[in-house]
Amino acid sequence: MSVFLKMSVSVTLRPFARFLVPFTLHRKRRNLCSTLLHRCMSSKIPAVPCPNKEGTSAPEQLELDGWKATMKSSVQEAISTGFSDKDEDPLVATRELIEMWRLLGREVPEHITEEELKTIIECPSKSSKKKYLKYLFIKENLKKARQIKKEMKAAAREEAKNVKLLETTEEDKPQNFLFLRLWNKNINSAMGWKGAQAMQFGQPLVFDMIYDNYMKPKELQNAVSQLLESEGCNRRNIDPFHIYFCNLKINGAYHRELVKRYGEKWDKLFLTATEKSYVDLFPKDDIIYLTADSPNVMTTFRHDKIYVVGSFIDKAMQPGTSLANAKRLKLATECLPLDKYLHWDAGTKNLTLDQMMRILLRLKNSGSWEEALKFVPRRKHSGYLQVSQQSRDFVNKVKKAKTFNSFPKGSLNVHKRDNLNEKI
Amino acid sequence: MAFCMSGIRSFPKLWESNPYAGLRPRHSYISLFLTNCVGIRNDHRWFSLKAMSAQNTKAMNPLIARGRHLWKANEGNKKQVPLESSHLFAAGAAEKRSQRNPPNKDRAMPPVKGTIQLPKQPLNLEEWDKLKEDFKGKTNFEIWISSQMAECHSSVDVAKSLLAWVAAKNNGIVGYGVLLKYLYLCVIHQQTSEVIDVYEIMKARYKRLETGGYSLLIRGLIHSDRWREALLLLENIKKVMIPSKKNYNDCIQGALLHQDVTTAWNLYQELLDQGVSPMLETLQAFFDFGKDVKDDHYSKKLLDILLYLRNNQLYPGESFAHSIKTWFESVPGKQWKGQFTTIQESGQCLGCGKAMESIHLSPDEYEFLKTKIMRDVIDGGDQYRKTTPQELQRFENFVKSRPPFDIVIDGLNVAKMFPKARESQVLLGVVSQLAKQNLRLLVLGRKHMLTQRSRWTKDEMEKIRKQASCFFADDISEDDPFLLYATLHSGNHCKFITKDLMRDHKACLPDAKTQRLFFKWQQGHQLAIMNRFPASKITFQRILSYDTVVQTTGDSWHIPYDEDLVKRYSYEVPTKWLCLHQKHKDT
Repeated sequence: MSVFLKMSVSVTLRPFARFLVPFTLHRKRRNLCSTLLHRCMSSKIPAVPCPNKEGTSAPEQLELDGWKATMKSSVQEAISTGFSDKDEDPLVATRELIEMWRLLGREVPEHITEEELKTIIECPSKSSKKKYLKYLFIKENLKKARQIKKEMKAAAREEAKNVKLLETTEEDKPQNFLFLRLWNKNINSAMGWKGAQAMQFGQPLVFDMIYDNYMKPKELQNAVSQLLESEGCNRRNIDPFHIYFCNLKINGAYHRELVKRYGEKWDKLFLTATEKSYVDLFPKDDIIYLTADSPNVMTTFRHDKIYVVGSFIDKAMQPGTSLANAKRLKLATECLPLDKYLHWDAGTKNLTLDQMMRILLRLKNSGSWEEALKFVPRRKHSGYLQVSQQSRDFVNKVKKAKTFNSFPKGSLNVHKRDNLNEKI
Repeated sequence: MAFCMSGIRSFPKLWESNPYAGLRPRHSYISLFLTNCVGIRNDHRWFSLKAMSAQNTKAMNPLIARGRHLWKANEGNKKQVPLESSHLFAAGAAEKRSQRNPPNKDRAMPPVKGTIQLPKQPLNLEEWDKLKEDFKGKTNFEIWISSQMAECHSSVDVAKSLLAWVAAKNNGIVGYGVLLKYLYLCVIHQQTSEVIDVYEIMKARYKRLETGGYSLLIRGLIHSDRWREALLLLENIKKVMIPSKKNYNDCIQGALLHQDVTTAWNLYQELLDQGVSPMLETLQAFFDFGKDVKDDHYSKKLLDILLYLRNNQLYPGESFAHSIKTWFESVPGKQWKGQFTTIQESGQCLGCGKAMESIHLSPDEYEFLKTKIMRDVIDGGDQYRKTTPQELQRFENFVKSRPPFDIVIDGLNVAKMFPKARESQVLLGVVSQLAKQNLRLLVLGRKHMLTQRSRWTKDEMEKIRKQASCFFADDISEDDPFLLYATLHSGNHCKFITKDLMRDHKACLPDAKTQRLFFKWQQGHQLAIMNRFPASKITFQRILSYDTVVQTTGDSWHIPYDEDLVKRYSYEVPTKWLCLHQKHKDT
């Protein structure tokens, strides 16, 4: 009876529902007392697994099912139509589905655009839908975190400004400086000069852009990010390569993405982008195609060779694509001596383009494999392999004789050993 | 007012649906619902096996004994299992192979989660408050405890008391997550009236649910009188995505439970049209239901299911096989007789003596497979990937210039069989033993076999080249595709020797149908050497002469099935058969 009363009131007098809560609570307490009493009295009877059969007592039923009434009654605020009308837009349906998943704490984004919804509907399978939703979820979270960080920084800046205002009420003293604060600009122009020099006299390094057909849009975007990263690395280096983007089709997928990412800077880059193939630009005998599938291991970095790196991200399983390419053109191939120097643990031996770039740059400038392979991600290997003492001594001797003749003997040795220990 | 009515209306159902769901078809329910809980399922299967065997003791007892023997052997002394009895692709063969050199089993038990003991009895509000104070964890207490309860299959009462507490704290509102867990418990414990209550609540509170909620509701509702609403829920799922095969399974089971055969078949057809492969449980349900239907149309549909199994190379499970047998034996007038048997090596059924279908492909299939292997495995759109065009040309000329071979040997695979023996010596041993039987041999290898001095001696390679034709591919080419093509080119009588299961090459084939053809051909033509010591006479693993697939000759059916206690890998085939034939032929 009381249930019914409360119900009808809450339906009709919705705005006052909040005031009714204490009352319902109280009622529940009372019920509870009676059930407790009942339970005490009938404690000898073993618990009945199924409450809906005859054995169950009425008060307990009341206590346990009380919530149902409120659940059902509190409905009317939003929708009273029940489950879905017949002809409904799939977009709306999908949006509601995602909303329900959110309620469950699944990894789905909070806000979703019309376009993204369409992408979701077009996903062929349930798992691909979930994957895409998770991607959006992570993206959204990152964006939120960045926003919060930004706001915090702005607040801190504001505060610092206020403090400064208080401090610098005394007048500014003129000070003597040698340079104006134009460091970034200077650095950029210096790098530009070096880049121009590399265009004239630098060793060529080719990125083979022929693989755009083998990649999905996502992989292609990742590839372009890595290209950007490696170009930046090269620019900052003391002795940059002369980068070639070969087989780059104008208005192809690669070209479009690169222009989009670089913006107007694209035409001012110190690198050669060409539709031609590297076999047309360079003598075939000088070209070495770098691929992890190659049977030949690279032993030294040759300054008179042209190394080709395939700008290809292979998330689908297509092993041997770049090796097939090199075979077709009858080029020499080489792979990095990862197994020779590193205790390989997990992960593919395919490194990212920027890692490749860093390794090659370091090799070019120092010639030491230990130094260069520092750029292999640490998670992929458990440390350097112990190169036999003899060969290491030999390498050290040669190096010393070559470059560091003027150094005192001891200090260099110690330094070298330390470095190695650290790595091992 | 509306609520009052519905509340009262639901009371009689409380009486109706519960015993109804509980008594009659409970047997089949349990096996359906507890499929996610492996331990219980096995126990249950054991029971059903025994219960069934009462009817047909003669045929069943050896089966049980055999199963038990296998089980014991798997559990206890693993070396006792005779490997010789099975062929390379027999069910469980891979398991045995792996047991010969067992991996280190150091699996630590997962740490016990949580600090709170789940309540066994319904608690009151104060007790829940206290319990919550004891809980220390990152997540929300209500959600955590409800999922724990769902995991441990707590009783509905306890869950209900939790919900009452949550509602009391929260203005009578229970969150969707907690409600869903409660629904799960209700479904698990088959509390149909509770399911309907939750259904009403959800219908009232939410405009649309997500797929998990729909699935649970469907599964709960099919046992009630309102099972048709489950079909509406299925329609709702369809608006956003293709329902899972489990959703279809539940709906079909519900329709069959309420004698609506047309709906069940329509749903089944819809499932097939969507390219989803049905659960074996669904198919079994049709057979189970068929016992009480005496209708030619229905029988024809069941035979269609068997043909579906045949075309997709699916094998029924043990209890499904029993269902099929029972259905056949219940067909009036035909006097089907079924028994569980095995097939002899010669391909004859031990039960009726009939010969099974041959493993050999038909000429059309053979040609088809040959071109597919050439086009997709060797060429694959880029000849440079696995070989080079020059090499391919050289190989084709080589194969065409010789008469067909009897046996093609994967030189490297055979030579590396014994890690301690010298490669060329092992290969020479195999080649000379086969050459003595006057077989025309082809040895495939790579060029490095001719140059490496220590492992591949020159005079032994010379001897091999005298006794067999040899083809050496480049070191960076793959030799397996050549092996496949050479064997296929030589004709149906030609076999190949390797231990490689060729799964990667099978994966290169474009569609499931071609892959099944390849697998069938492989079963009939692959010889795997069984020797464990270099010096002994070579023996091969038994090669199947018959095809393991559901098959019929009109008046007989032979259906391979999976035993419950044997773990079968996807590239293996069952060894047990259900043999069905019509009695009047015998007498």
